[in-house]
Order: sequence, then structure tokens, then C-alpha cells
Amino acid sequence: MADSVPKPSSSVKLVLLGEAAVGKSSLVLRFVNNDFQENKEPTIGAAFLTQKCNLPTRTIKFEIWDTAGQERFASLAPMYYRNAQAALVVYDLTKPTSLIKAKHWVAELQRQASPGIVIALVGNKLDLTSDSTGTAEDDGESSAAADSGDSGDARKVSTEEAKTYAEEESLLFFETSAKTGHNVREVFTAIANAIPETSLKSARGPGAGAGGVGAGRNNEEQQRVNLGGPRDPNAKEGCAC
Amino acid sequence: MLSLSSFVQRAQQLLDPTQGLNLSDSDKNPSKASLFQNQFRLPSSQHPLYEISAELTIPPSNVTQGDKDRDRGYHYAGKLHLSEAYLCFSTTPSSFLQSASTSTSSAFTGQTHGGGPGGNGFTFPLCAIRRVERLHSQNFQFALAITTWNGINQESVKDKKENAREQRITIQLAGPRVSCERFCDGLKKGLRAGVGNVGKLKKVVAECYSEYLLRPEDKKNASPPDAGLGMLFRYPGDPKKLRDRAKMRLWAEYLRDNGRNMTLIRQPTFHKLIRVGLPNRLRGEMWELTSGSIYLRLENPTLYADTLAKFSGRESLAIDEIEKDLNRSLPEYPGFQSEDGIGRLRRVLTAYSWVDAEVGYCQAMNIVVAALLIYMSEAQAFFLLSALCDRLVPGYYSTTMYGTLLDQKVFESLVEKTMPILWEHLVRSDVQLSVVSLPWFLSLYINSMPLVFAFRVLDVFFVEGPKVLFQVGLAILRINGEELLDATDDGAFISVLKSYFARLDESAHPKSENPKLRAVTRFQELMVVAFKEFSGVTQSSITELRLKNKDAVLNNIESFAKRTAIRNLARDSKLLSPEELGALYDRFYGVLYERQQRDHILKEQAKRAKTNRPRVPDAPDHDDHIERGRVGLGPSTSLMDYDAFREFLAGMSKWAISDSPTTPRRDTFTDKDRNSFYNSFRKSDAFLSPWGAGPEPADHEFLQRLFRNWDVDSSSALTLQNVVSGLARIKGKRDIMGTINYFFELHDDDGDGKVDREGILRMSEALLFLSRRGLEGSLSPSNSTLTLNGMTDSMNNSSLANDVPGQSVNERFLGSVSAFIRRCFEYADPDHPRNQPPAASATTATTTATQAQEQGETAEQPVPTSDDLLQLASPDAFAIGDDDDDDDDDEEEDGDGGDDDDDLLTMDSPTGTPRRAAKSSGETSSPGQPPPLIQLTNYSIPPSTIDGESTDRRRVSKAQSVKANAALDPSNPLHITLPTFRMVVLADELLEQFFESSFPASFHVIEALGSSSSASPTTASSSLTTFSSLGMGAGRAVGAALGGGGAGSGVSAPGGAPAAGGRGLRGVLDNIVTDGMRVAAEVRRRMEDAQKELEKNALPGQRSGNDEDDEEDDEDVPGFEHASEPGGAGTGKGAAYRRAVSSSDRDLLSGADAEASDANSIGRVRGSSDAGSMGDGNGNGNGNGNGGAAKVVGVEFDG
Repeated sequence: MADSVPKPSSSVKLVLLGEAAVGKSSLVLRFVNNDFQENKEPTIGAAFLTQKCNLPTRTIKFEIWDTAGQERFASLAPMYYRNAQAALVVYDLTKPTSLIKAKHWVAELQRQASPGIVIALVGNKLDLTSDSTGTAEDDGESSAAADSGDSGDARKVSTEEAKTYAEEESLLFFETSAKTGHNVREVFTAIANAIPETSLKSARGPGAGAGGVGAGRNNEEQQRVNLGGPRDPNAKEGCAC
Repeated sequence: MLSLSSFVQRAQQLLDPTQGLNLSDSDKNPSKASLFQNQFRLPSSQHPLYEISAELTIPPSNVTQGDKDRDRGYHYAGKLHLSEAYLCFSTTPSSFLQSASTSTSSAFTGQTHGGGPGGNGFTFPLCAIRRVERLHSQNFQFALAITTWNGINQESVKDKKENAREQRITIQLAGPRVSCERFCDGLKKGLRAGVGNVGKLKKVVAECYSEYLLRPEDKKNASPPDAGLGMLFRYPGDPKKLRDRAKMRLWAEYLRDNGRNMTLIRQPTFHKLIRVGLPNRLRGEMWELTSGSIYLRLENPTLYADTLAKFSGRESLAIDEIEKDLNRSLPEYPGFQSEDGIGRLRRVLTAYSWVDAEVGYCQAMNIVVAALLIYMSEAQAFFLLSALCDRLVPGYYSTTMYGTLLDQKVFESLVEKTMPILWEHLVRSDVQLSVVSLPWFLSLYINSMPLVFAFRVLDVFFVEGPKVLFQVGLAILRINGEELLDATDDGAFISVLKSYFARLDESAHPKSENPKLRAVTRFQELMVVAFKEFSGVTQSSITELRLKNKDAVLNNIESFAKRTAIRNLARDSKLLSPEELGALYDRFYGVLYERQQRDHILKEQAKRAKTNRPRVPDAPDHDDHIERGRVGLGPSTSLMDYDAFREFLAGMSKWAISDSPTTPRRDTFTDKDRNSFYNSFRKSDAFLSPWGAGPEPADHEFLQRLFRNWDVDSSSALTLQNVVSGLARIKGKRDIMGTINYFFELHDDDGDGKVDREGILRMSEALLFLSRRGLEGSLSPSNSTLTLNGMTDSMNNSSLANDVPGQSVNERFLGSVSAFIRRCFEYADPDHPRNQPPAASATTATTTATQAQEQGETAEQPVPTSDDLLQLASPDAFAIGDDDDDDDDDEEEDGDGGDDDDDLLTMDSPTGTPRRAAKSSGETSSPGQPPPLIQLTNYSIPPSTIDGESTDRRRVSKAQSVKANAALDPSNPLHITLPTFRMVVLADELLEQFFESSFPASFHVIEALGSSSSASPTTASSSLTTFSSLGMGAGRAVGAALGGGGAGSGVSAPGGAPAAGGRGLRGVLDNIVTDGMRVAAEVRRRMEDAQKELEKNALPGQRSGNDEDDEEDDEDVPGFEHASEPGGAGTGKGAAYRRAVSSSDRDLLSGADAEASDANSIGRVRGSSDAGSMGDGNGNGNGNGNGGAAKVVGVEFDG
């Protein structure tokens, strides 16, 4: 954001997948426009949006494909995740079945999408759980998220369960609220960080190299973000949006 | 899937030779009827009955009097069509006569020049016709004057006078007098039938806004009909800008002149008026009319309300999905921020999801319906939605959305064809067009363009059909072509179009000097480009492209579905390899698909046969859903019922194939239904048999068990998951213990870890069932019992792993099974140890048992038995065919049979001395006789024929048998536990192998089971025969005498009566050949008899026991013969024990050579006359039930 020197910039195709009405479009809307609509029209086919994300060493332009969630649209999904470098698989914290569906998507992506795709598992609607109360107010500064029990009013999927799964499958993992904006930017930042340098198509050669963000470091970072994500107050500063 | 599609093609050809290709909707399936329905937008109940060339004359309207052009009225030449309930006229010269070629009937699919498929003309429901008069005209022409019920709802005469004269048109029929007469007769009939519907008509019409519009001014205070939410929340767009009032005036005039709603006549002005955009309040009605959904409403006016009432309070997945979207359907329209609007949307979507459960609810429907509801009432929207889903955009909203995907492919090909440069650019920059265009089609442009414009597209779409969507799409790309050529990725591509849509209302030529040009909006430009430049895009070109791309699209969907389904299987599926899972998936859905196809075809046939309307020569309405069941087309069943399960197994495992395809099956009533049609089809095509081209599956208790076991939810149907889990347990681990446990569990009905006597017998029956075609590997698909020749040699070849020359594993397996039973009983735990049966027989048994034990200890029974068998059997031996083909075979069989018999005997009858009694008993016994009293006698009688060598063995076995018999005593309940079972299995090498490899391997998941043609018939029959012949032989000899345990198969009937036991064995074999259930019943009956017998003769029983001992001692005792004779005579004395059997077998052995070849020789052996027919060289009598089958075989063979 403050960089005067032009940073290398590259675009990343990102696809959102998940059961209907888990809040995929809302996450995108929050990320792109920092907005929230209570009644967002269901996505027909897919919506396309873009947003930039400034990392210390480079700029990532997300080309976001926000897909329709209804089961029968699933057969259209390959059209959208084709060539995607990143995927956000979203579930609803208050709906256990949506996590199952999310797992299916993860499996599908791991098998069918481009190899090396970065996948983030995102539990949305944190605002509906009790552990969100603290966070809802200060928009993203989560104090309670980490030790969220299952005491939340509407929470039906424990953090532990989803996190364990995410670790097994080496996914990034976040719990977010598109409504409050909690953790939303963090998700995208973490993804931006996790994208291997080599897979950035339009990355400017020297710049990227100078950036010094090696794959190894990426992994570390990813790891850090993954584990500390929900708690990490600094995460958002990576993103200039 | 390949074979499936070829199957479908054959089916289609059979149904209608003119059609090679089909999609599931009438749109793409040009049967005459559907073309007709399409052209006039009629419900699928309508068929073209009569047609005739005619000229329509519309008199000059009174309103426009003075206009010279109109004074003369209008004349249109065209075709007049009559269906069951409609009279239609169209200037489009299409013909739906039976003799007309398909191209004539699809003529309308060509360019319509704005006329829509219906062209100019009318579509009158017959009930809307008030009067038809025949006019006297010159030239003896046939002219009709038709008066309609136009304005039927005007209340008073005064209104009518003021408002309009009645609508009256004339039609001159052109054609031979005869055809005119015929047409008129048809019309008369139809009119008469239509009279009853006038009431409905009134009701339906009352909801049309035109009725209100055309009322005289003074009556307008009445509340107008519901013309959508727009009446409450305003219609989208600025009415001034839209020139709504002017349009309304024009329409009012047109409707006054040309009739309203049902009685409207389409003239060129009509189409022009639509092109300029419908006025808000008439829009709903015109949509309804032009799409034809109004005719659906007329057909069943209360369907909407009824559906809501019927399902009120019910829940469904679709409803959940609907609820999620209610608040987000056109949320920017105020009507959908209100409870009223949302309530309407909810009701319409819900009602439709009930009516068309296959479609249910698909996102995008909410948007489309929301849009419709702005302009029409709930009921109108409901019917229009159904016209959309069924006819206008078929498959768009189905569960696989194949229609959407298909039309995307079609659209892409059109782009490629019409805009090659753009297309190339797209390909080069790797932009996938459908990511952009798919939402256009799916939501009918409603959420792509500003609403006002989307509705204009819809106006035309409903009149002219789905091609409009393509034309508009192409025009959008053409207009933005240059900018799109600059766009190099999805994002840029999309933003170009987004901004275009946002500026549709702007001038298309803002810089033009010509004010007229400047006034042209971008939207107008779009419409012009769409309909002028792309006028070549017609219904028929789209149909063609759809057909071309259909398979690729469906295959894609299917492979996606398959991938998903397999991936989503539970963890236990990992036990199977991906290849196996894939193959299982294919098999699973393949069977379901084929069954549905067959079902459909059979139903069609039935319908045809039933209705067979002489008036409707080409009516059969097979167009719809011919391919129902194909995964790619949407919801097909994913549940497998028991019959399908059998078919499924029969495709994988040879033991699941029935042995007697010709035997009438009695399982399900549906089969009965099928059978009734079956005959008529047969001649035309074999694949119409209830089982299609595949082999008829067997029906065996084991299959039922397996089905129940796999059906973990007890839903009487299996999902793919069930099947995979089930198979994973058998094939997955490849560990013998697992398989053994599984097999045990399969027979442990109450899950208490114990399998009782009954269960033990079931197990052994199952073992025999599973092994009857050989244990593994070889293909034995032939299911016909007719091919029974020369089995001997081939049999050896066929059976795998033939260690012992001359004796197949299969044969040895029989021995193993019989040993299995024996051991099971031997090691069984009594249920109530204290509860020893008081019956004398029981005591006898026990005593003998003790003796037996002693003896038995010396000799190892189980293995020896099989050894015995081996020894006995001559190398070439096994006569595999049905009853005996060759003498040698016979001999061997007999020998084996004998041994087996011994085992059986051992197990079954306490008294049984295996072989000796044989001959005599064989002769004497007549099949099917109850075992009763005579048994005892037999017991006492010493066996007539004995092989010296075997004496010892026999003894042993006898001893065993005695012991086992004790176990068999029904009054002495017992069970085996899993460890016992395991031990017993492991005690026998062959059984062990069976569980270790051959059972799991018998499910050929991946490889194809050989087709019947490929496998040598002899092979199959031979292996089959082996068993059956053994069984039969024994059975027959034993005949009525249940005691004839001699049957080669060691399977004994349920414990109680030894004799019964013998029966049981036979029963098993019979099962194989014929029908399991019947046999089972028989077995059971006999068991009971035998038991009664036992009880009755408790005391004598003891004596008999002694006798037995005697027998054992001297096997040669001739007395036996005499005893057995009576039995054979059909006295029904249980005389024939197995021993009897065995002895008879022996005899056969000796005499076999001579007898074998001709049935006659058999005569010697069998005392009874029928035996003649059945008798084979082997002298094996058929057991009870199977007698029939065996007989057939024997005869044929002999012949």
C-alpha cells in the first residue's frame, strides 16, 4: 500500500465452491466491495469479480469465480475451476451437512483441478455463533475465536473438527463472517501468500525473484497463517483492499 | 454405456422406424404428434387427427369499417388441423398426416419470419366454438362458418350488442369431398365432446385481463383480474417511456377485431405488436397464450390450487431449497420485498416442485418465476413454468441441467459458425464462452439485462420459441464483437458485456446526424440484429445441433456424476480398487437404466395395444422420456430393488444366472405384467424379455439373504453405497476369516452369533448354489438346460483348478459340502443340553450315535468322505449332463453320488446305511412320495447291493450319520457358533479355498462375464449337470422315499427327519435347476412329514435302528431289495433311504454301461413308470420338485 516502487503483480484465478446459501457470494462481496447484503440473489451459473491484494512483495489480482451452490449446479463447476490456482471451499458453521459437501468439493478439487491448487476451507457465518460476539464489534479482531467451544447458539460444526480435517488435507483454514467482515480479508491474504511463486503467470521475473518469497518460506507463512489465522491481528495489514 | 445406447436405439427403431435419435423432450424428437403439439403449443394430450387444406376468411371488422382494405376482410390459405379437443389453422404449411414425411411436418421449424411456429391462424379449443354451420356456396365447395364463444363472459345481451357482434369466421375446405366429409364428421364428434368443457373455459378465461379490458366502460368498476404483482407494486420501467397506453389501445383494438384469449386469431399485426413489446397488463395473458400454457390451464384449471391443498404442510428437499432463495429473487423489485410477493413465489415454486418432482427446484427458477409473477397470477405462472420446463427450455432445470449444458454447446457451435474470428479469439485466449452465456440462457436473460429489456426478449421468446435465446445471444456477441476481440481473459470479456447490458437503453448511434437513427436504442439494435442478421438460426438448425452434441454432453455429465458418486462413497469403498468401483458404478446404473428402458417400452407397448385408437393411426406417444433413466438426463432412480439386484448379480456372477430361463418366474407381479406382453414381443425382439438381452437371473434364498444383508436401511432397495459396502466386505479384504465371518453373519438371522439347524442347511444350500456352475474362473453362462450334450469331457476342462484328473473340483466340492453339513451337526452345540428328546427315535439315534462315534473316531470322516468320492469317481466320470448321458458318466456319478449319499446319509438319517439299499430303493422309489412309514422298514432291511470295499467306510459314515442324525433331530435344537463354523470350514481344504478365493472371485466386477454364446454350452451345462445329475440321480432313486439321502449333494433338508434331509439335498439341486421356493416348501413339508413319522414310530424307530446296524454289518442282504420295491412302487413308504439311493446308484454303476445311452435301459432300475422318462443311465431318480426339469432334460437328451 505504501510502496512507491511498483511491485510485481500477477493475477490469480480463484474459485469459490460450497453448498447453497453458505455465503460464498457474500464473502466475495465483502472482500471486493466491503459490503454485505442480507438477501443476495442466488448466483446463477457463476459470478465473476476481481479484486487486488497487496502483499509486501507483490500484488495479486484475484479473478474470482463465485459459483452457484445448488447441488445440481455441481456439474457446471469444472467449467469454473478449470485452471484455477486457488479455491475457497466454504461451509456454513451452523450446518453440518455443508461441511460434508465441502469435503466433497475438496476431494473433487484435489483430483480434478490443476495440481498445486491452493485450497482454503472456510467456515462462514461466524456471526451466528456465540463466540463471534466479541469479534463482531471490532470487525476482525478476534479475541475469542481460537478457543471457540461448541457453546455457540447456532454453531453446529466445531472449530476443532474442521481444523483437524483441514490439517489432514493440508488446507488453509478459517472461520469467517461475511456479515461482520471478520477474517474475510485474512482468508484472501493467506491464499495470496500461499500461491507458489512459480505458478504466477504474469509475475515479472526479476521482481518476483527479488521478492525473495521462496516456496519454502511460503509454506512457513502458510503454516503460520493457517494455525494462527483466526487470531492473527496482523493478517489484514497484508491486504490493501 | 455403449451397449446401453445401442439398446436404446434398437428400442426406438422398434417403436418408430422413422426415428433414430431422441432426446427426452418432444422438442427434439419429431414425432408427428409432438411436432403438432409444438406448432400449436398444445398439451401432450392432443394428436393430429385430421387435416385438410383450407382457406380462412376473416370478415372485415366493424370497428374499422370504412377502411377499404379491411372491407374485403382477410384471406389466408393454410392447413386446418383437428385434434381431440382443438381446431387449429395455420398458414405454415406443415402436415402431420401419417403419410407425410417428417420434413413436411417439421416445416415450421424453418424460418418463421416473425410468425412463430403457429404462423397466422388460430388455435381454438373446441369448447370455445359455439356453432359451426355448413354454408351453401357456389361450386359445391365445402365451406364452414364458425362462430365462437368470444366474449363468453359478457354478462348481458346489452353488453354484447354494444361491445361487439359475435366472432364469426368462414373456412373453405379444399380437398376431395370425402375428406371434407370426414373432417366434418370428426369435428362434429369433437364439438359434441367439447360442450362439457364450456364451464371450464369460462373459468379460465375469467382470469384473462383481456376480458376486463374489453368490457364496456360502464362495467369497468368491477375489480380486474389479477395481472400480476405489477398491479400492486407497479410494473418495472417507466410506462411513459414504454408507451404503455398506446400499446394498450392498439391491443384493445386488435383483440376486439380478432378475438381475445382462447378465440384469438393470429394475423401479422399480432406478431408486430408483440415485437414492439407487450403492454404491462396484457403481458401475462399473452405469454400464457403464446406459450400455450393457457391450454394446460384449460385442461386442468384447478391443478394449481389442488396441488397446494394436497401437499399442504408437507416438506421436501425442494422446499428447503426454495426457502433459501425466496428472499433473494429479484430482491430489487418492491413486490418481492413484501410478504405478498414472497408468498406467491413460494406457492408457485412449491406447487411446481410437487407436480414435477423430477425437476423439483432449480436455482434460476426462482428468478424466472419471480419475473412471471410481476405480470401474471399464481396459477398462470405455475402453468407457464411447466410449459417452460417441459417444452421451451427442456432439461434446463433438471437435476443434471443437461439441457443448459447442451444448449451451451449448441450456442458455441453457432458462434463458431457465424463469427469465426471471434470464436478463434476465444479459443486462443482460453476464454470459455459458456461461463458468460450460461446465465443468459438459464435465467432467460432476466438477471443479465435490465428487467424491461429482458421482458421484451421474453415476449418474443414465448411466441417464437427457444431459438430466440440463441438469436439474442449471438446478436450480443456480434454487436460487441470488436471490444470482445480486445478482451483476453474471462474478466475482460465479462466486463465488456456487463457494461453493454447496462447501457441498453442508450442510443445505438448517439453521434448520428439522423435523428431517427439517434433515436434507436441499443436494445432495438439488438433486436434487429438478432432477428434479421441471425434469422438463419431456426428451430431446426438448433434441433440439429442439439442432436449432434447430445452424446458428448451427456457423457460429460455422466462421467462427472460417476466421479462424484464414487468419490462420495463411504470409507469402506476404499477396500475396492478404483477400477472396481468404476465398474460397479457402471454395472449398477447400467442395470437400472436398462430396466427402466425395458419398462418404458413394455408400457408403451401395452398402451398401444390397449388404446389402439383407429382414429389415431400415428398417435403413440412415445416421444417423451424415451431415454428416461439415463444418468445424464437427470433424476433417474438410484435405488435397486430385488429384481434389479438379481439382474445386477447375474451380470457379475455366474451362479446368479438362472438355470432354466424358460421357467416361468413367479416372483414379482410386475413380471407377470411383463409376461403378458412378453409373448407378443418375443417375435420381434428378444431383448424385450423381462430381463432384456441378458441372462435370466436366478432366484435363490441366498440372493435374498445377500440383498437383505446389503440393504442396511431395510428399505427394500439398495443404493450404490449399499452395493459397494456389501461387495467391499466380500471382495475387499481378501482375507479368508473375513469372508467366513461374513458368510456366517449372512446366515445368522437374529444376529445372536448362532446359526441353528435350519441355518446350517441353508448355508450348505447356499454353498451348493454358489458352486453349481463351477467354483471360479470358467465361464458358464449358458443358462439353457437344453444343451446338455457331451458334457463329460468339457466339464473337466471347464472346471478350474482341476487337481485330480477325472474329477473336477466341483465334484469334490460336493463332497466337501456334505462333509460340511455333517461336521456342522457333529460339532453343533445343543441349545438346551438338558432338553433331550423323549422320542424313541431320538434315543435310538443317540445310541447309534455313540457307536458311530467310536467308529468314527478311528476313521477321519470328513476328509475321507471326499477321498472316497474321489476314489469312486472314475476319472472321466462325471457325467455332467443332466441325468446320465453316458454310461461311464453314470457310473461315476453314481459312485460319487453314492459317496455323497453316504455322507448325506450319515448326516440325515440315523439309520441310513448309505449305499446298500440303493438299488432296490431306487427301483422302488417313485418320485415325490412322502417318506413315511416305510422308512422304518427300510431301515431294517439290509442293503441289497454293496461294494465290498466301501463297507468300512460306510460303517464309519454310518456311524457319523447316526451321530449327525441325532443332531438332526428336530426336537433337539442346536446351533453352531462362528468359531465352530470357522473350524468346520477350515477343516476342509476345498471349503477353505472356496472362502479364501473362489467366493470373492465369483463376483466379476470388472471383467465381463462371458456371454452365453462365447462359452461353450457344454461347459456350462456340464458343471451344472454335475451337481444336478448327482442330485437328481440320488433324488430319483430315492424318489419318494425321502430317506434316499444318497443324493450326491450332502445338503440335507432340515434336520428332523433323516429322510427329509435327503430330500433337502435334492431340493437344493432342484433349486438350481428349477425353482428354489417350491422346493424349499417341499422340503419343509417333507421334513414335517418325516418328523411326524418319526414321532409316530418312535418305538419302531428303535427297532429300525437296530436293523440298521444289521444292515451295516451285512450290506448284501437281499431283503432290502424287497423292501425298497414297495417304496418304489409309489407306496410312499419312506422306504427309499438314501441308502436305497446309493444302492440303486451302485446298481446303476454296474449296469450303467448298458443302460446309460438309452433311457429304456433305465427302466430296469426304476420300478416306477415315470422313472422311465426321468431315468437316466445313472438310474438316478429325480428328487421331488426337480423331477419335472430333470425329466425334460432326460428326454431330450435321450432323444
